[in-house]
Amino acid sequence: MTKTYLLLLLMLATVSSFAQKFTVSGSITSKTKGETVIGATVRIGKAATVSNEYGFYSITLEKGEYKLEVGAIGFEVNTQKITLDRNIVLNIGLVDESKELESVTVTSSTTRRSLGNTQMGVEKLTTKEIKNIPVLLGERDILKTIQLLPGIKSAGDGNSGFYVRGGAADQNLILLDEAPVYNASHLLGFFSTFNSDAIKDITMYKAGMPAQYGGRLSSVLDIKMNDGNIKDYDVSGGIGLISAKLNVEGPIQKDKSSFLITGRRTYVDMFLKLSKDSAVNNNKLYFYDLNAKANYILGKKDRLFISGYFGHDQLGVGETFGLGWGNGTATARWNHIFSNKLFSNTSLIFSNYNYKISIRSGANDFDIFSQIRDWNLKEEMQWYLNGKHSVRFGINSIYHTIRPGEVTASSSSSINSSYLQKRYSWENAAFISDTWKASDKINVTYGARLTAFSILGKGDFYNIDANGKVLDTMTYKSGEFVKTYFNIEPRAAVSYQYSSSASFKASYVRNVQNLHLLSNSTSSSPTDKWVASTNIIKPEVSDQVSIGWYKDLHNREYELTIEAYYKTMQNQVDYRDGADLFINSNAIESQLLFGKGRAYGIEWLLKKKTGRFTGWLSYTLSKTERKIDGINNNEWYNAKQDRTHDIAIVGSYQLNKKWVLSANWIYYTGSAVTFPAGKYQVGGQTVYYYTERNGYRMPAYHRLDLGATLQLKERKHWSHELTFSLYNAYGRENAYTIEFRDNKDNPNKTEAYQVALFKFIPSVSYNFKF
Amino acid sequence: MKNFGITRLALWVTAAFFFASCEKVIDIDLNSAAKKYVIEGVVSDKAGQSKVLLSTTKNFSDDNSFASVSGATITVTDNIGNITTFAETAPGIYTAPALVGAVGKTYSLSVTTNGNTFTAVSTMPQKVMVDTVFVSDELLFGDVTKLVNYAYQDPLGKGNNLRFVEYINGLQVKNIFLRDDDYTDGNYVQSKLWYMPDNNDDKYKIKQGNKIDIDIFCISQDVYKYWFSLDQSATGASQSASPANPVTNIKGGALGYFSAQTYQTKSFIVP
Repeated sequence: MTKTYLLLLLMLATVSSFAQKFTVSGSITSKTKGETVIGATVRIGKAATVSNEYGFYSITLEKGEYKLEVGAIGFEVNTQKITLDRNIVLNIGLVDESKELESVTVTSSTTRRSLGNTQMGVEKLTTKEIKNIPVLLGERDILKTIQLLPGIKSAGDGNSGFYVRGGAADQNLILLDEAPVYNASHLLGFFSTFNSDAIKDITMYKAGMPAQYGGRLSSVLDIKMNDGNIKDYDVSGGIGLISAKLNVEGPIQKDKSSFLITGRRTYVDMFLKLSKDSAVNNNKLYFYDLNAKANYILGKKDRLFISGYFGHDQLGVGETFGLGWGNGTATARWNHIFSNKLFSNTSLIFSNYNYKISIRSGANDFDIFSQIRDWNLKEEMQWYLNGKHSVRFGINSIYHTIRPGEVTASSSSSINSSYLQKRYSWENAAFISDTWKASDKINVTYGARLTAFSILGKGDFYNIDANGKVLDTMTYKSGEFVKTYFNIEPRAAVSYQYSSSASFKASYVRNVQNLHLLSNSTSSSPTDKWVASTNIIKPEVSDQVSIGWYKDLHNREYELTIEAYYKTMQNQVDYRDGADLFINSNAIESQLLFGKGRAYGIEWLLKKKTGRFTGWLSYTLSKTERKIDGINNNEWYNAKQDRTHDIAIVGSYQLNKKWVLSANWIYYTGSAVTFPAGKYQVGGQTVYYYTERNGYRMPAYHRLDLGATLQLKERKHWSHELTFSLYNAYGRENAYTIEFRDNKDNPNKTEAYQVALFKFIPSVSYNFKF
Repeated sequence: MKNFGITRLALWVTAAFFFASCEKVIDIDLNSAAKKYVIEGVVSDKAGQSKVLLSTTKNFSDDNSFASVSGATITVTDNIGNITTFAETAPGIYTAPALVGAVGKTYSLSVTTNGNTFTAVSTMPQKVMVDTVFVSDELLFGDVTKLVNYAYQDPLGKGNNLRFVEYINGLQVKNIFLRDDDYTDGNYVQSKLWYMPDNNDDKYKIKQGNKIDIDIFCISQDVYKYWFSLDQSATGASQSASPANPVTNIKGGALGYFSAQTYQTKSFIVP
């Protein structure tokens, strides 16, 4: 660690400059709404930068006359002349890209991706871009849409879980306005918790994660909510087949403060209620979510954002069974500009996820409750040191409380109330990274993240033998440190832009994960268990090396990206055979096995971002394996997320001013699964004999979706549209599960059968805005 | 209690939601594996019920007949050294009518066949008597389904495990019914033998006038673990991400289990 600091100091010290330099800084917003624009490209002469997550930019240059050009996706390019003879503050309002077709075809150099940027393995999407992509039941869903990009694999039909470069679904850090979201799915995974109406921008990091992010092995998905229109009131909404939503935003005080409230609720259960059959109208099935945000400009140098999310799912079968779960997050952030070169953000963040199962079946009358809750403080500084260096550094401290399971029974119940002990942990991190413009062609980002994960009392901890038997118990008092794991996570990336249209990049990243999700089912379940590292469960560690080649083709109409990666993962967690997921014991480790993983692959992405026709072609060739002590005779085997080929073709075509047509086609190799090698009779029934873990494949998955958006007659202050979609247009029966059973008519024979979920799902939805 | 079947629930939810999930029989080319021995060994507290079934695994495409193994030498030794030899009374079925087990006694099984020896040890647990069984109507996803209810007083102290076998007019319901006392220790326990009868398969639906037989076995912790893990991951219908062979108490590399268990049976006609 000290070495890294020394190196950094040395590098900073070598940068001495003699010419007189000045800084231009400010924030970039949308002119119509006042929303800050993230990732806008700012070019002044030869220098370029991108606005940060709060729209702030800062560039330092020698004295002179310059042309300044600012561009961002969905906005027209802003060009102006500036005279740099002193430090200036220049706030820029970008005008929305006109809907006229002519202007869409204009390619601007500033809306292009930055070939010189060191960041690789990154995918960015704005809600404007995903608007026309056809989706299941017309529910626009960013988590579904990113699965169409290379290296990001869907966890299955109708599942919003995803796997990034061989990682498991819990190895993705999903942040909503900086708050970790622990379960990002609604309705057991068919929809994600993110209402796209409230979302401004998403960024997915598959490799080379910047040092300010940490805590998960495989990816970071950074989702930013809209700030709310600071100029004028906006009301928009939509009615789809399964849900209705409404978004209201506007100034609290014009140009000073704004608010945004977005809500969504499904209403299928209302149809259930219409049924006269009490067995049907007693069933419950719904979810809702609410996003709210307020933002205040406190002065020229200070800005305050307060945002929150609350979502809940409820599923009930008559009076007998109920399952409710949901996330809640809250974030308060304070931006302060110390100087035109030093930007600071302080965040106080709260995250909560919990579920509750209710059983009311005669004498079995009880509830099961489980929760994970975080308090999180983050301080981050961005220091635009000079034209050559910009440094980011900060600290982060999170206090986790996990309540693994609490059974509360009524006094007449035959179930006993019981409580698994609460688990406490404290996660601290310090990070620093420097982006260094080493030459006109070479940029380097290097840095590190130091993490300390402390497991705290009170509670009992265990020593366990190879068979999972508890050998002895150690009891710790409240606040006592059980163990602290220290880790250094080096991060490094370099880019070499050898021509105006092409560059090479390489990166190395180490990530550490101290919260682990235990899941033994094929799809995500709200009752999957989060556990923190303990004396036995070690922090998961991944190391990833990647290289990439980036090329703009055909007059910059097309972008080609090719990236290759190799990743190793240590201290991976899996359940033992026959593990009991609802065990009434504090020694969860007795149900677990540990091992390692490796993943490698190549990803191709060809993207067309401008013109009447836009879209992309994505192909991933990859391999993901696991080796767990106690599984598959301790030999390497294919992880369930291992899929050799993964293809997505996404396109949308602006037919005329009224119609946009779109389609996507997806193909991937079936997941690795375990099928029996034989069968035998036990207890009067046929059971199956297994020899090898994940030795088989599900059938290949493929699907075509079609969509069309019709812009209805527009008036001043009023626009509306109809969106049609057809999910799985050629009715492919993709296997959701494959199971084995005795043939009903001839019990002397066994058969395999598959269950498919979605076949031709048409939908229509209506969206309006005024 | 144990298996909430969340993923199964997901399927029902989807079906209810989109009326779209569809099922079809498919062909899968499954590899064949070397045969393995399967032992189902029981020492019962009821005379005539102690027996050992010895068979092998079969390929998936074979029929479901019992792949009996004859000519094995099978003995059970109790904890004071009494050795009982089991005699083959039908192909692969070895019995010892004289062996009546007792609660608290430990039994050791030895099976020798074709040069392989398999051993296992099991202790007969405390006998817990089910005092009530009856049928009630349950509303499950719009259908009224009759399910068997049972009740018993659980003795204080964890580790009382029950396994049930349900017969409708003599036909065994092919489900593994288990009950532990992890969450109900010392209580008067009332519960149901839950299963979802296939809508198209009438013979597994309980109807008025049916004769119901319930066999109740008290089993030790390791045998409970066997049935639990079998139910979780080897019945072919499991949603487990990692199907696997159940956790056996037999040493030497055979599948199956050896259980010293108590026996009780209850019968009634559905009113």
